[in-house]
Amino acid sequence: MSAYRERAAREIREQRPGATVTPIMRGLVADSARMLARGRPGAAERAAAARAHAVANLESLHAQLRESFGRQRVGYHRAATAEEAVATVRRLLGDARRVAKSKTMVGEEVGLTHALRAAGLDVLETDIGEYIVDVEGRGPSHITAPALHLDRSRIRTLLARTGADLPDDDPVRLSRYVRDVVGAYFQDCDAGITGANAVVASSGRVMVVENEGNVSLGVSHPRLHVAITGLEKVVADEAAALAILEVLAPSATAQPLTSFSHFLAGPMPGQERHVVFVDNGRSAIAADARYRDVLKCIRCGACMNGCPVYRAAGGLSYQSPYMGPIGAVISPLLWPDGRFADLPFASSLCGRCTEACPVGIPLHRMLLDLRAGAVERHEVAGRAERLAWRTWAIAFGGATRARAVSAAARIGLRSGGRLFRPNGTGDDPRTLPDPAPTRDPANLRPAAAAPPSQPVVQPESVPDSLAELFRVRAAALGVEVVEKCPARKGDRLLTAAAGVASTGSALLTGEQAARRPLLAAKRVVVELDPANLVRYPGDLEPYLGEGDALILTGASRTADIEKQIVRGIHGSEELVVVLRGEEAMPRLLSSEA
Amino acid sequence: MARIALFDPCYLGAIRSRDAEHALRILRALGDEPELIDGRCCGQPAFNSGFRPEARDAGRQLLKAAQPYDVVVAASGSCVSMVTHYLPALFEGRRAEGAGRIAGRFHEFASYVAHHPNVERLGLRLEGTVALHDSCHGRRELGITGDVLALLGRVQGLEVRRLAFEDECCGFGGSFAVKLPEISVALMTAKLADVAASGARVLVSADFSCLAHIESGARGMGVTLETWTIAELLSRALE
Repeated sequence: MSAYRERAAREIREQRPGATVTPIMRGLVADSARMLARGRPGAAERAAAARAHAVANLESLHAQLRESFGRQRVGYHRAATAEEAVATVRRLLGDARRVAKSKTMVGEEVGLTHALRAAGLDVLETDIGEYIVDVEGRGPSHITAPALHLDRSRIRTLLARTGADLPDDDPVRLSRYVRDVVGAYFQDCDAGITGANAVVASSGRVMVVENEGNVSLGVSHPRLHVAITGLEKVVADEAAALAILEVLAPSATAQPLTSFSHFLAGPMPGQERHVVFVDNGRSAIAADARYRDVLKCIRCGACMNGCPVYRAAGGLSYQSPYMGPIGAVISPLLWPDGRFADLPFASSLCGRCTEACPVGIPLHRMLLDLRAGAVERHEVAGRAERLAWRTWAIAFGGATRARAVSAAARIGLRSGGRLFRPNGTGDDPRTLPDPAPTRDPANLRPAAAAPPSQPVVQPESVPDSLAELFRVRAAALGVEVVEKCPARKGDRLLTAAAGVASTGSALLTGEQAARRPLLAAKRVVVELDPANLVRYPGDLEPYLGEGDALILTGASRTADIEKQIVRGIHGSEELVVVLRGEEAMPRLLSSEA
Repeated sequence: MARIALFDPCYLGAIRSRDAEHALRILRALGDEPELIDGRCCGQPAFNSGFRPEARDAGRQLLKAAQPYDVVVAASGSCVSMVTHYLPALFEGRRAEGAGRIAGRFHEFASYVAHHPNVERLGLRLEGTVALHDSCHGRRELGITGDVLALLGRVQGLEVRRLAFEDECCGFGGSFAVKLPEISVALMTAKLADVAASGARVLVSADFSCLAHIESGARGMGVTLETWTIAELLSRALE
C-alpha cells in the first residue's frame, strides 16, 4: 500500500474532506468559469504566452531584473537550495525579532516559518487561513484557501485553544477575531515577509496580490520587507504581469481581481526591500523539456479546485506544501529523493486539471511521464507488480494467448465476480460486473421524473459605455459609485490614475498608493475621471507610471472560512468611487483608442 | 471500398463479449463490411501504471493487426485516446512515424457513426429514458460529446437525460481503481448519486470501462442500474 493511499484512506475515514470540499468546489468551479468568460477574449492564451516567455528566458530576465532592482534600490538575492533560502532570509532579517508573515508558497516549500521560529524569532502568520492552520499544526490544505478542510465549528474550537472567547462560530466573527490579533501585531513588528506573484524584469516592480490587507500592512508598516519567491516568477514587463492578473483571481477565487494588486517599486524612505529568488531544483526543471512547462504555473489552484481526487481525499493527504494535480507534478520534481514518488499516481487521469489550467500546463500528461520515471527508478511498484506487468505483456504479445486470457477472465467473472473485493477488505462495496447482464425493458421507464434542469445562465448583457460597465461591476463588489460624495471625517480622499470597467477597479499610483493611510481610513473615496476608464486590467499598462502602483478592486475581504465572503478585514469596508457624469466628459481615451 | 475493422478491446471482450456483435450490426447497417480485430490491447493499463515497455509490446500487436485497414473503429473512447494520443510516442524514429500513421486511422465508434455518410439510413427507434455518462476520455481527450449527443438525438422515442455533474470522473481510471480504492469508491458513489438524481435506470456511455466500474458499484450496493454502450443502444434501437 502506498504511503499516499494510507494517508488518503485515513483522511477519508476520519475527516471526510469531500463532504466539506466537494460542494464548495463545485460552486467555485462554476463561478470561475463565468468570471473567466466575462474577461478579455483570449486572456488565457496571453497569460500562457507571458509565462512561457519567462520560462524560456529565465537567466536573461534575471540579469535585466538585477539592474532594474539596482535602480529601484531593491535587494536582489538568489538561493540555490531551501537551506540557503532560509539562511538568506535570516541574514536579511538581521536583528529583527518580531516578523509578520503573509502567505507564500515558497515559504512553505523551504520551511521558513518553522526555521525562523527555531532560531528564536517571533513569527506570526497574518493571513487568516494561514493563522488558523498554524494553530491546528497540520499545514495548509489548499494553496489559496489554506483552511479549506476546516468547517466553522472546528475553527472556533481551534481558536479557543489560543484563548479566544467566541460566543458563536459565525465566519464574520471568527474572521474579525483573527484580523484583530493580526492588526495588533502589526503595531509592533520589525519585518514583513511576503511572497510575490510576479517580478517585472524591465521595471523592477514586484507584483503581489491579496484580499485581506495583511500584505498591504506587511509592505508598509515594518521597516523591512522581504519577499521570497520562486526563480521562475520573473516576467518580462508590466504587460506580462497584467496578462497574468487577468486570469489569476478569476481562476483562483472567481474574483475579477483580488482586492489589492500591488506593484511595489523601491522602498519608502527609511525602509528596506529585498527579494529572495529560490531555485531549489527549478533550474533543473527548466532544463528538462518534459517538465519545463510546469514552471509556467501561477499558483491559482484551479487544477485542485476541479480535481476529483483532491476533493475526495483533501489537500493534507498529499503531505506536501503543493497539493492537488500541480502538487502531484511539482513535488516529486522539487524533491527528487523519491519521497513523493507515489503522488503522480494520485489521479484517475480524468484530465480536468489540464482543462482547468489557465496557462495551459498539460498536467495529466506530466503525471503519466512521472509515473513512468518512478517505475524506471524503482521508486514505486514492487517485485510482484513488475512480474504481473511482464506476464501481462507476454499474454498480449500474441492474439491466441490474449483470447485465452479473455476467456479465462469471463469464466472467472461468472464464478467469482461477486466475491472479489479490489482492496482486499470488506468495506469496498464494488463487485466485478456481470459478463452477461440481463436486460429488463421495464428499466427503460425512468424511476422518477427528470429533475428540474439547472437554470441556464444567460450571457450577461454588457453595457455599451465603459462608465456604465464600471458602475455595474463595481456595485457587484459592494463599491458605492456616485457622482458626488460629501466629505466625512476620517475619509481618505484619493484620485485614481485610471479605472478598469470590466472589473470595477481603480488604479492608484505614486503617493496615492500609500498603504498606511489607506488602511487607516474610516472610508476611502476615490475620484475617477471616466475619460481614464479602460476595459480590461491589461489595458492599464500606459497608466502604471514608473513608481509604486496599487489596483483596488472592492474593499478588503476574506473567504478563508468555508469560502464565505467577509468584507472589511484590514482597512475600511467602505469604498466609494466618485465617477463624474459621462455627458460632461469628452470620451477621448478608451481601450479602443 | 475502404477496408474497415472493428477493434473489440481486450477488456470489453473479456467482460462483455456480446458488445462487439452490437457494433458490427450497426456498421453493417451503415453499409460497411467490417472485419474483427480481437485478442489485442492498446497497452493503456500498463501505460497508465508507468510500465511503458510493456505497454509498447502490447500496443505493437494491435498496430500490426490494424495495419491492413483504412479505418479502425473501436467502441471504447479510452482505447482510441490511448492509440491516437500516446501509443506512437512509445516508439522511436521511423517506427514512431509508422505507428502514428496507423494510429491516425482509429476512430471512436459513436463519433464514426455520427459522421458516417449513410447515418441517415439507420432507422432508430427506442421508447424509453436513459442517462448519459460523458466519459472523461471522450469529453476531454477526444472531444466527442457533441457527436454522442447528436447520435442519441437520432433515436426516435428516446429521452436522454444529462447528469448534473456530467464532467466529473466516475473514479475508474484503470489501475487507479485498484491502487487507490478508497478514493475510487468515493468518486463512484458520488457518480451513482448523480445517476440516481437523474431518475434514469439505464446509463449509456461511449466508454464501457466507466460503465463497468459504475455497474460494479451499483451491483455491490444493490442499486438497479443497467449500463449500455452506445453500440448496444443503437443495436437495440435499430428497426
